[in-house]
Amino acid sequence: MTENNENQNSEPIVSLSGLTIGFDSKNPLVQVPDLKIYSGEIVAITGASGVGKTTLLRTIAGLVSPITGTLEVCNSILPKLPPRGSVGYIPQRLGLVRHASVKHNVMMGARAGHTNPHAITPSAESLSRTKDAIERMGLTDKIDEPIRRLSGGQQRRVATARSLAQSPRLIMADEFLSELDEETLNSVLFEVTEYVRSTQAALIVVEHDVSRAKSMADRMLVIDDGRVNPFLSETTALEVNL
Amino acid sequence: MITGFGKNSFALLALFISGFVVLNGMIDDWGRLSGSFQNLIDFFHQSLWPPDWTVLEAQAYPVCTTPEPFSFTCSTAWIGMTETIKIAFVSTILGMIISLPIALLAARNLNSPRISYLARFILAAGRSLPSLIWAIFFVILIGLGPLSGIFAMTIYTVGYLGKLQYEAIEGMDKAPLDAANSMGLSKFEKSLGVVIPESANHLISQAIFMFEYNVRHGTVIGIVGAGGIGYYINLYLKFLQYDKVMAYLIIIFITVLLIDFLSIYARSFFNEEDNVNRPSWWGVILPDILRWQ
Repeated sequence: MTENNENQNSEPIVSLSGLTIGFDSKNPLVQVPDLKIYSGEIVAITGASGVGKTTLLRTIAGLVSPITGTLEVCNSILPKLPPRGSVGYIPQRLGLVRHASVKHNVMMGARAGHTNPHAITPSAESLSRTKDAIERMGLTDKIDEPIRRLSGGQQRRVATARSLAQSPRLIMADEFLSELDEETLNSVLFEVTEYVRSTQAALIVVEHDVSRAKSMADRMLVIDDGRVNPFLSETTALEVNL
Repeated sequence: MITGFGKNSFALLALFISGFVVLNGMIDDWGRLSGSFQNLIDFFHQSLWPPDWTVLEAQAYPVCTTPEPFSFTCSTAWIGMTETIKIAFVSTILGMIISLPIALLAARNLNSPRISYLARFILAAGRSLPSLIWAIFFVILIGLGPLSGIFAMTIYTVGYLGKLQYEAIEGMDKAPLDAANSMGLSKFEKSLGVVIPESANHLISQAIFMFEYNVRHGTVIGIVGAGGIGYYINLYLKFLQYDKVMAYLIIIFITVLLIDFLSIYARSFFNEEDNVNRPSWWGVILPDILRWQ
């Protein structure tokens, strides 16, 4: 809590205000409470399947336009997108280039964070960040392997390495810990939380496993469509401080 | 009572009848068909068969310097066929190089509708005319020879291959693009780093298919003087030497068949999954019914 209070004196990385999300303005998916996410914080979004967790994450990532409200990410108010490389997004389906190697995929993140967009070749910084992230995820022996030949768990580690190599201010991960065995899960979680705490970045993670969400996050956003709280008239996200 | 099956049958019957009515309207005298089969038999025996295989012998001029077992490489059939294949090869490569950037612009998941429609307009213009018409245009513009054929087939390849390419790009998985968009990668980085590697198998497979297509169509453009074996076919048609034309047609048939098989085999290396059973050589050549495995 002390850490949270300290954070709240700093600039928020994400600010949501009056946000309603969904694809149909007449039938919005979720009413999101006003919320600020500060540097060094980990926020978990939980809720039953189909309530709009992924849509909320995609909205914050700038991939879906909100129906109403204001959304500010890394000092950019939507529709203006956050600065290049400042947001790392790990989609539920990971978004890896399946026919390319582990190195290529991680390099895409490193490029976004550490190479000029007009440069043909990646910078030395990008190369070293790529190597470092692959090492931290324990994928050095798979560096030249195409993604399609890796297991589901290894692919999740590549997607995480891609985000770490990018050195973003905000990481958004959609169920990035599923399909991992206990040992790998702990090491991946350690690397990501370590990154967030040490660089004062922020992490928003969609997690259906509530106990895991509680164990890793500082705050939780529970999206409820009435199944948890029957007094709710519409699908609402409720903020829970842990 | 009319069931679902009955309705479908009725629709098929209605289509068949309407097709027949339109055909009947176009044909003034069905009696003309009565002697056609005999005409075909007569034409085949008197003019087409046996084929004149002298087309595979070395030409008198220029003098052939190739030693005897390989002297057929100085024949009109060999020169014409290899020229057709060369035209198809060069056109496919040039067409692919030109079409890929336009296809990237035409893909709606990468660009705004305005840019996409402009690129699609360019591609549609390329394939709006068949390569034969483009060949006539370039023969008028730059004269007879394979260069006209290359230009004609390149333009058609750009239009046709570009359409296949942008459809493959639009059909790719959305998740890698989502990740790239949120990272803030530029269009150039997304194209080179995400789109091309992710759809590479489709793009290569389409290019091989296009080469096969260009070989087939390359035999025709020579008829208007744009190089290749079609030039000799047209020449002997004018002299009514149908037995030589028959020999060329058999050579084209065998070559196209071989390239077809090669194309199927080559494309099998560019599957989306590694565990797809790759056809064996005989598996590609033999029709399904004759395979024992």
